[in-house]
This record gives sequence, structure tokens and C-alpha cells, in this order.
Amino acid sequence: MAGNILITFALMASVFSIIMYYLTYKGNTNTLKFARIGYHATAISVIAASAFLLHAILTHQYQFNYVFNYSNSDLSTGMLMSTFWAGQEGSFMLWLLLTSISGLVLLEYTSKRGDLEERVMMIFTLAVAFLIVMVSPGLKNPFAFIWSDPTFIDVKNINQSFLSLPFLQEFMFSDQSTGQSLIKMNEQLVALLATKGISVDQFIVFGKGLNPLLNNFWMQIHPPMLFIGFSMATVPFAFAFAALIKNEYTDWVKQSLPWLLAGMMILGLAIMLGGYWAYNILGWGGYWGWDPVENSSLVPWIVGVAGIHTLLIQKKTQSDGSAGRFVKTNLILSIMTYLLVLYSTFLTRSGILGEASVHSFVAPGMMVYTLLIFFIGTFTLLGFGAIIYRWKYLEKTFTAEENVLSKELGIFTGAVALIASAIIIVSGTSAPIFGTAVELSFYNELALPIAIIMGILNGLSLLLRWKKTPEKSLLESLKIPTIISVIVTALIVFIGGINDFMAILFTLSAVFMLTVNIDVARKIIKGKKLFIGAYIAHVGIALFMLGVIATGWFSLEKQVKLEEGVTQNILGYDLTFNGFTPINNGQKYKFNIAVEKDGSSDVVSPVMYISSFNNSLMRDPDLLNKFTRDLYVSPVSYEEGSRNGTNNSAGTKVTIEKGKSTKFNNSVIKFTKFNFPADAMAAMQSGEDFFIGAQLEIEYNGKKYVSEPKMESRAGERSYVGTQITDANLNIEMLNLDASGKVELSLSQIDQADTEAAQEVSLASLWIEVSVKPFIILVWIGTLTMVLGFFISIIRRTKEANK
Amino acid sequence: MNNKYIFGGIIIVVFLGIMGYLFTQTNIKYEEDFSKIVESSGTIKATGEWVKEKNYNIDNSKNIFSFYMKDFNGTELKVVYSGAIPNNFESSTSVVVTGKYQNGEFHASDILTKCPSKYETQYEIKETNS
Repeated sequence: MAGNILITFALMASVFSIIMYYLTYKGNTNTLKFARIGYHATAISVIAASAFLLHAILTHQYQFNYVFNYSNSDLSTGMLMSTFWAGQEGSFMLWLLLTSISGLVLLEYTSKRGDLEERVMMIFTLAVAFLIVMVSPGLKNPFAFIWSDPTFIDVKNINQSFLSLPFLQEFMFSDQSTGQSLIKMNEQLVALLATKGISVDQFIVFGKGLNPLLNNFWMQIHPPMLFIGFSMATVPFAFAFAALIKNEYTDWVKQSLPWLLAGMMILGLAIMLGGYWAYNILGWGGYWGWDPVENSSLVPWIVGVAGIHTLLIQKKTQSDGSAGRFVKTNLILSIMTYLLVLYSTFLTRSGILGEASVHSFVAPGMMVYTLLIFFIGTFTLLGFGAIIYRWKYLEKTFTAEENVLSKELGIFTGAVALIASAIIIVSGTSAPIFGTAVELSFYNELALPIAIIMGILNGLSLLLRWKKTPEKSLLESLKIPTIISVIVTALIVFIGGINDFMAILFTLSAVFMLTVNIDVARKIIKGKKLFIGAYIAHVGIALFMLGVIATGWFSLEKQVKLEEGVTQNILGYDLTFNGFTPINNGQKYKFNIAVEKDGSSDVVSPVMYISSFNNSLMRDPDLLNKFTRDLYVSPVSYEEGSRNGTNNSAGTKVTIEKGKSTKFNNSVIKFTKFNFPADAMAAMQSGEDFFIGAQLEIEYNGKKYVSEPKMESRAGERSYVGTQITDANLNIEMLNLDASGKVELSLSQIDQADTEAAQEVSLASLWIEVSVKPFIILVWIGTLTMVLGFFISIIRRTKEANK
Repeated sequence: MNNKYIFGGIIIVVFLGIMGYLFTQTNIKYEEDFSKIVESSGTIKATGEWVKEKNYNIDNSKNIFSFYMKDFNGTELKVVYSGAIPNNFESSTSVVVTGKYQNGEFHASDILTKCPSKYETQYEIKETNS
């Protein structure tokens, strides 16, 4: 209850704050104080509600549907905390929490800058209010009780000492297909439990747990980072809107820049952390898969980064009260960045992409769907409505021409290329809305030429001067970087053996970008050190591109079978499978593979296990990081060795129905009936040892024989016991039995089985997928370098914004 | 004419043109009715359920994974995939395969298994009184 009271209070406080800010904007002087109180009350309530949810998770209060569905008592504290955002309700809550906190900082920041506060906070608080509605009761509410919608709970999650309660029988159901016993949790049961003085969190003692795919270290970092990025993307929208309503376009640029930079730094890092997670742990085999979820967070980033560039031009070209160039572009891009965040949320949460993504989405219901559309609709109307309203003025006041050879035009064209790539990705990702989709080659083929253009444009823009560049001086400054780039590219092409034309062009573009940026950075470092940020970020991007070339064109991949103890040379590595070791109390198995190359030896240990969460085989890859290349090993399957040689390999497989017979090598084998001992049924259910036999009648040379192969279960392990009829030279192995009245047998001749047994001592073997990814480390180094560059720029632009 | 419109315009027009072309080339049709897949030749994204009774088959030496899928009508389709069995295939609630239909089999280039995962909370079960 406390959670929902806090949410409701937060909503009321936010609406109050919006109204008070609006009145302040309209000229009232005594309302600002109330507006601030309202916002602080909103933020504090949201923080308290989040703390309440976190507390419920940490103390395992399974009476909350959300806590029951996503967490379990066996998780470590760190992972337990990350279940906060493991589900849709919680991730909306996280987004709301981070937006509210950003708002506190934003309020502080804007309150020192004249009338900026009411204009910015009015719209920002509206965004907060929408998110509060999203987590309200009836929508994506994380505080819903487990019984508010009757839920079926597996008996194993219940405190066993309560199972004897007499009224519980009425709520017991069994699932025919899986044989699970379930308890229907509804208000009636809650009331009955209450009469016995039992609370629901005493009654339910285990949760469903965290999806094993999410249960790892990066789950604690990647989603919060992404949502910080999303939250901060709200700010440029608010600044642009504030500028539009005041019809004053000079100051917002320097005020908005640090926010946009910080938001895009964090969003960019979050996206690549997701890539790192996918590569290292999820076993996607790569860092990028053009998955709709990845795409939909990439698009706002691209548009935001384009906006950073055009905002910089505007700031640079401002002088004596003029607003600078690209006013319209900057307003539109700042607004679009946030709208694309909302659109991304809509795509990934509305269930529309259901069939297109690795992430499994479920339609969240009509209410949430409508709310999402209403959310996007409102902000689109506000943003573009304001632009259309001011368009005449903007058109008249801010129309300028750029010289062909100017830095302004160079950067602008680069920004257009970025926007073109954003349009392409949005189109491809949105295709499922229209009942179609695109192959991955759609993205790859389009992204490549754009990346080439951007690398070259970036290098070129840095060599161009502001306003106008004399042709001669451009040619002069181009000379050295071009010569260096061509030589370096030629070396890379020659050494790496690149023979694809586009790859060569891409290499040239990346090297050119790298050369020019290093050159500029080298000159700047002697002077104003804080001015170096942009160039470092560009160096990062260039390194990233080189990493993409290396992994994209030169990765090798092979699926192989490793027999235990036998060394094989795979893609230049000597691999030896040395058996497996159980880890995590025998819940998982680590498969040890010795790797030798050029005298150095290592061990890679991919892991396979059956997850109790979803009853399926999970495979965790392992990799060997070396600077020049990664060896990536993902497990496929494991076959146990057979020492006795009769492992059904030699036999003829037959399936016989009850009462029917089959012929094999002059014998007629008839399956008469199952031998199903009376106590077997009970033993089976209680998990004790039991056996079931299949009674067979064999006719050979006019004689009849009776034989009974068995299926035995000892300590939960099933095994089959075969039989032999020496006179008939018949070896019978049982492979499977089907309670509906069928047995599956493997029949062979004894003398042959013996000889084959001698030869067929097979070794345990492990199937693995091996890939070698050269210089993938450049992707990670590039990302981190880029983040560093962003960080330096943020410091610089924050200082400038404080002037 | 303003330079920025010329440069920006060229990039946008060229890439949107290429995009339009590629869109038709790499277009994937969604199909939930397997009887229609048999007649088509293009790339298709088919959604259905794995036929558990028919099990799946893994040919490790050829690196081929094959299984049967059925649509909402119960029409079955044999799917052949070059590669390893996807993670949590066994527990999938539905399977989405992308590929082409050739010679009586669906040759998948990509398999998505949709599992009860992070964005799903429903525990679906038929109410059967015991």
C-alpha cells in the first residue's frame, strides 16, 4: 500500500508543480516557491517509493507480484538489487527514479539562470508526471499484490509446513502437461490464510527467480546506465522548448550542451556495455546484432550526437547578440532526441516487435499502449507545435548561407549523414509495424557507405576553417594527412590482406579520421588542454571503426568436435578437451579446454547447465583475450563416452507397440505388456528407486523365449538394463518406453555386438563453436576513448555554461 | 541555392534512394500460415511452435539442426538450420524462423526462440480441477 500511496502523492505533487511553474511563467511572482516545493515533493516521493520497492525485494516480500516474478531468495545482494529493473514495471520505475533525480539537479542548475527555471521545469515535470502515470496502479505498477489477479504458484515456492492446511486442497491444481502442482492464489485464499494468522510473505517463501540470461554482473550496470541516458535526453527537449516559448535562441545553446553531452556519453557507453555483455556472456558471438532493442537505443544516440555537432556550430558562430547558425536544426534535433527515446520505448514495450526481437516482448495491455501513444503524441505536439508556431519568425531571422569550403558546412553535412543513418535504422526497425521486416544486410550495406562518408567528412571538417577556407590552404593542410593515411592504409591492406574494395575504402576513411584528429590533438595539448575532448572522442570512433573492419572482415569461425584428451589444431590453436568440472554445487558444468599457441598455454572453460528457471540448456561462452585477437569458444553439446561399447550404436532401432511384433534376424519379437510393479507408481512420485520392465516374447527356430529389459530409476537417475538371448544370438537394449504402450528397442546380434564393442570404445566428446576475432579489442578501446573525449568536453562546456 | 541544402539534400536523397531499393531487396515477409509458405519463394519470417513430439535432430558432423514446427492450424513444417541449437530452445513458447522454403524444407538462416523472459510475467495454464 505504501508504495501506491507514494506514487499517487508524487503524481499529485507533480501536477501541482507543473501548474505552479506555469503560473510563474505567466508572471506570478509568489508561485515559484510552491512550484519548487511541488517538484521536491514529487522527487522525494518517487525516491521513497523506489526505496520501498528495493526494500521489498531485499526482504523477499513475495506478496508483491513483481518481487515474486523476478527475484528469489538465493540471489546475491547485488543481483537481488538488479531485479529491481528485471521486469517491465521495475524498469519504468527505474526510468522514473532517474528522471526525477536528474530533475533535482536540473532545478538547481536552472534556478541560477534567471527565468529559465519555470520554462524548463514546467515541461520537464510533465515528462516526470507521464512516467508516474505509467507506474500507477492498473498500469505498469510494481506494487501490485500477487493475488490482485489470480495467479498460479508452483507448490515448491510455498512454505512446506503450510501444505497440510485443510482448505488448501480447494486451491490446488495440477498441470497435466508438466505434472506440476500449483496453487491458485486469489483474494479468497489470502482471506483464509489471514484467519490462521498467516501472511502471504510467510506463505510464499521462494520467488520465480531471475532469468539466467540476466543473472550476471552486467545486469547491475547496463540497464541503469541506459536509463540515465534516457533520463538526461529529456533535458535538451526542455531547453529547446523553453527557448521556443520565450522566442530567444542564444543562451539555451551553452546551457543545454553539457546536458546533451553527458546524456549522450552515458547512453553511448550503456549501448556498448550492452554489446560487451552480449559478446562476453550471452554468446551472441558478436557485439552488435542490429537487434530492434539495440537499434532503438542507438537511434536517439545518433540524433543526439548530430545535435551536439550542430549546437557547437551555433555556439561558435554566436557573436554580439546574434544567435548563431543552425538555430532551426538545433531546435529540431534537441526535440527529436527525446521523441526518439519515447519512440524507442514505444517500439520495445508495446509488443509491436514481438516477432522481430531476441528479447521476448509481451503486449502490455491496451491501457499502457494507449498511454505510450498519448505520451509520444503530447511531446510531439508540444515540440513541433512550438516550432511551427515560431516558424515564420525563425525562417525570417535565422536564414544564412554557408560557404562551400567552411567548417560549418562540413560539420553540418556530417550531421546530415548521421541523421540519414538514423532514418535508415528507424525505418528498418519500424518495419514490423507494417507487417514486414528487413534482413540484417539492409543495415550493414547502408551503414558501411555512411560510415565511410562520415570518417572522411570528419577529417575534412577539421582541416576546414570557420566561415571560409582558401582553396590553397586547404590543399596545403590536406597534403600531409592524406599522404600518411594512404601509406598507413596501404600497409594495413597489405599486411592484413584486405581485398574487398569497400573494406579498403572504410580503412582509408578511418585512418584519415584518426590521422587528422591525432594531429590536431597534438597541437592543442600544448595550449588549452580542455579543448582536446572532441578530438579524443573522434580518435575513439576511428579506432572503433578499425575494430569493426577487423572483426567484420577477418573473423574466422568453425564448429568442431573435441574428443577428450585428443589435441586438435583449430584455426591455428591447439585445443585439447580435458573433461568437465562441476561448479556452483554441481548445478553447472565447466568444460575445460587447454589452448596452446606459439608456446603459451591457457585454459578456456565454457559452461553449460540446465537452468531451473526455464528448464532448458544454457550455454555460456568463454574467451581468451589477447591483444591482437580473441579466441571465442561457445559450447554446443556434450556426448558422454561409452566404455562398454553397447551404447546402442551397433543396433537396429525398432519401436514396438503393445501386442505387436517385429522381425529381426530370424527372430520374431513380440511386446506383450509392461511389468509395472504395484509400488512403482508410488515410488515414482515420491522419487524413490523403482523399475518398469517390458515383457517380450521371442520366437526363434520354433522355440519361445521370454525376456524382460528394464528401465530402472536409482536416486533419480534413469538407466536401462538390456537382455540377451544366447540361443537366438540376440542382444536387446531398451532405448525408451512410452507409457501409452510402446517400447523402443535396439536389436543386434550378440557376436557382432561383441566385436563392435571391442572397437567402439568411444571417447567423451565436446562440440564447440570456435571463432577467432582479430582486434576486437579496438572496439572496446575505441568506446572507452570516445567516452573519455566526451568527459573532457563535458568539463569544458560546463565551465562555459557557468560563465 | 543554399549550399547546406545541396549537400545535405544530396546525402539524404541518395541514401533514402538506396534505402528504398534495399528495402525491397532485403524485405522479409511475415507468415503465420505455413500452407502459404510452401508456395512462396522469397525470404520469410515464420512464427510457430516447435512440435515437441517429433523431437529435434542434431547432426553435429554436418552442423545441422533440424526440427518440426507447426502453425496455429497445426500445419507442420520441417525446418533445417545450419548451426547449433539455440539457447533455451527446449523451453521456448514459440519459435520464429527466418529463411527460405526449398525442396520441401524450410532452410532457416536465423532462429529466434521466444521464452518466458524478462518482459513476460504471465504464467499461462489451463484450469483443470484435480
